[in-house]
Amino acid sequence: MNPNVIRMIAGGLANVVVVLLIAPLCEGILRKVTACLQSRRGPPLWQPYFDLLKLLGKEDIESGESPALQRFVARLALAAALTTACLVPMGFPAPMNGAGDIILLIYLLTLCGICTLLGGLAAGSTYSLLGIGREMMTMIALEPLFAIALLAGAVHAGSFRLDAVLNGSVYAVPGIPWSGLILLVVMGLSFQAFVQRVPFDISEAETEIMEGPLMEYSGPKLALFKYAQMARLVIHSALFAALFVPWGSGLPFPLGWLLFWAKVLVIVLVVTAVAATHARYRIDQALRYFAGLLVVAFAALALAGYGH
Amino acid sequence: MMTPEQAVFASILICVAGAALTLLTARNRTLAGWIAFLVTAATSTLIFIAVATVLAGGASAGSEVFCKVPSIGFALRLHVDGLTALFLMLAALIAVPASFYSIAYMKHYAEYGVARYYPYFLLFLAAMYGLLSTTDMMWFFFIFWQMMTLPGYALIRFEHKKPENVRAANKFLLMMQIACAATLIGAEILAGAGASANSSAGVKYDFDTVSANLPALLHAQPVLAALAFGLFLAGFGIKMGMWPFGQVWLPDAHPAAPSPVSAMLSGVMIKTGVYGVMRYFLWLVPAGGQADFPLARWGLVVAALGTISLFTGTMQALKQEQTKRLLAFHSIGQVGYILLGFGACMALLPAAGPAAASLAALAMIGALFHTLNHGVFKALLFLNAGSMLHATGTQDLNKMGGLLKYMPLTAATALVASLSISGVPLFSGFASKWTIYVATVQGSSLAGYLSVCAAIAILTSALTLASFVKFFGASFLSRTSALVKERAAGRGRLEVGAMMQMPQLLLALICLMFGIMPAIGYGLVHAALAASPQGFGKTLGGAPAFSGGLWTGLSGVESHSIFVPLALLAVLGLAFLAARFISRLGAAPSRAAPPWLCGYAREAECNRYVAHGYYGEIKRYFRWLGGAPPAPSVNSAAPKEH
Repeated sequence: MNPNVIRMIAGGLANVVVVLLIAPLCEGILRKVTACLQSRRGPPLWQPYFDLLKLLGKEDIESGESPALQRFVARLALAAALTTACLVPMGFPAPMNGAGDIILLIYLLTLCGICTLLGGLAAGSTYSLLGIGREMMTMIALEPLFAIALLAGAVHAGSFRLDAVLNGSVYAVPGIPWSGLILLVVMGLSFQAFVQRVPFDISEAETEIMEGPLMEYSGPKLALFKYAQMARLVIHSALFAALFVPWGSGLPFPLGWLLFWAKVLVIVLVVTAVAATHARYRIDQALRYFAGLLVVAFAALALAGYGH
Repeated sequence: MMTPEQAVFASILICVAGAALTLLTARNRTLAGWIAFLVTAATSTLIFIAVATVLAGGASAGSEVFCKVPSIGFALRLHVDGLTALFLMLAALIAVPASFYSIAYMKHYAEYGVARYYPYFLLFLAAMYGLLSTTDMMWFFFIFWQMMTLPGYALIRFEHKKPENVRAANKFLLMMQIACAATLIGAEILAGAGASANSSAGVKYDFDTVSANLPALLHAQPVLAALAFGLFLAGFGIKMGMWPFGQVWLPDAHPAAPSPVSAMLSGVMIKTGVYGVMRYFLWLVPAGGQADFPLARWGLVVAALGTISLFTGTMQALKQEQTKRLLAFHSIGQVGYILLGFGACMALLPAAGPAAASLAALAMIGALFHTLNHGVFKALLFLNAGSMLHATGTQDLNKMGGLLKYMPLTAATALVASLSISGVPLFSGFASKWTIYVATVQGSSLAGYLSVCAAIAILTSALTLASFVKFFGASFLSRTSALVKERAAGRGRLEVGAMMQMPQLLLALICLMFGIMPAIGYGLVHAALAASPQGFGKTLGGAPAFSGGLWTGLSGVESHSIFVPLALLAVLGLAFLAARFISRLGAAPSRAAPPWLCGYAREAECNRYVAHGYYGEIKRYFRWLGGAPPAPSVNSAAPKEH
């Protein structure tokens, strides 16, 4: 068998397993630190693992309008997240480097969102429809933001390959990398939204529309959606680290790998700190905020196009 | 053995004869429908053979002459090269399912006879075959253009008892005549000013004559030549629905026509405009005299117009609440993608640099592949809309809901088409959009503005997704509406019959095929470019733009971009199995229960979340862009009968 294919399979499996194992832990850290910041005791670190296990055994109430589709998209949501994990470097080069590029990555990230949308639509409850409307509007603003960051990297690198772009390519210009720095700020300011945390958890908004698209989901299906959402936090943090904080990725195996996960942990902690200290935005406020960022991002991309 | 030109000529004659035959048999709807289908199928077989000949063996050297009347210099010159073959293939590919769908679909127009449907349908098809292959830029261009416009007019006002349809048809007629005039004036400028002593009256307007005389004109009178090309862009721009012309006629005309005709209009007819622009801009200027042609500047213009079209068209589509009107606006948006790819091709072709020609070729492949894909998925979407209209009697998304249970096959095909047009990986739209993005972003090192165009295109693709989430969600998913319940109770079965299911299934399978094996589309388009050696076609056909195969996927210029759909499919499939395994770990029991709605009466129609409610904030921010549906449909959005 072709050694490239073997490397792809082994790397992909490694990424998937690591994401599956670490995602609930990150969620646990997030909850614990949030509690500390809010002067509560908070649940134990491994509470999310228990939650998932509990949900997997709970009764699955098929309360939506199209149960078969709902079952399908719940599974597809986690599958899409895991597939995306195979396109992201996590201490090693991206496993599916030979099978896709950053444009595929951009669209696969949307695929996770599409599953939530279809899930909400198939449930058909008014609250889930409210939620998917919000989710979709957020996606309209966020997908291009992420795409612009990756495209600017691709413009600098002159290539769409994952290994060429997801390696700090946004800074890869002679002189001061203006476009890269601007995009770093822009992505930093919108990162909460990518991982669907406060202040941008508008589409789920537990206290307001009761988890929106996920309202009619229970038991194993809810577990899958929750798992996918936890995986999203890890995947997006890893992407952010690979694109904007590339330093030290060339170190030999245990060091580079540990450093990478340390970066991811720091990003998760930052997300937690922001989430714990902010209140949720309304959808119109959020859209205005994203629109401003989008304009800046477009300017940065134009700069990148002309070599800055 | 027929030459490709003879095959096209025979197809035109068969269609015209078929039109007469269907007119005679129009009293029997089914018989006329079958005749129209058989005629379409026969011509498309001929066309497919011609296309295969051209794509496999290359085009013949020159045009072939039919109907010669030497005394008045009258002669029909047809020529089928690769570019023509590709568009002919699209026409034949869409016409067959559309005509088959018509047989059952036209039965529900009880008040309107089919004598005003099938003959026009066949004439319309014949005209498209002719327009795509004639080399006469004046007389036969005019004849075929009118032969396409007048039956098109009749088909759009088929339901003439509704005044809005007649208005839409009149608008279509007027715009097409303006487009015709613009194109003919452009041709007259080029032919008249460039005419030299050696061109006799009969071939004065022939493509090759104009092409041969063009370098001198470009050199001597660049402004005049630019005016002519500007007129071509405007004329064909009107036809293809480019901003700002498309918004004038297209969204009214497409919904008015019967659904199979909408599929033909959007899938094929507007592509003749795309064909015209491509043909005149890239194939007219001969290989020797390209120095004086400001191709890069035209590229900027076309890419900018494309970007504006794709954004405005899609943003206006987002506001629509009528199925076919929503799809019509998306035609403007998707034509924008095609124009963006084509404009990038023109901008990159003259650029210096080793990869410029390859990137230009890749952009052109993207544009042509998207033309094919759009033809297929948009035709499918219009057939889906037709089935929904057939089942529910309305085009209003606000009155639909929960159709998935009642029309599973239509729903499945509509989902495939919706995901295709939204550019979801493994569906057909993704492969062609991917190509356009790769070419534009990589080309931004040669023309900096292209990366911004690409980012706007990616943003628009999220808008497209939003619009189709609404289209699919509001009609097939979400809660069953009162209207759907009532119709289902009244008719027992809402799903359309097998006669209408099969064309939808065929088109959905083509979408999946191009999505999972985009190398097939690439191969077709590349063969087409290689078989069109005139003008810039030689550079485009010869450039090493991509590599790959059915199983190994695609990789762009110098392997800087890569997409292996089968590997993705395998990984996604395995991940899905893993997710399925995880979900069954706990062996959780399941139970059906009605959704909980905070105690509100679940059955009340006024508590249903309808299409009108989607994306309020975005619609509000882009109110200035116009295109919002008229007030009455907004008011009827929240029925108060309960």
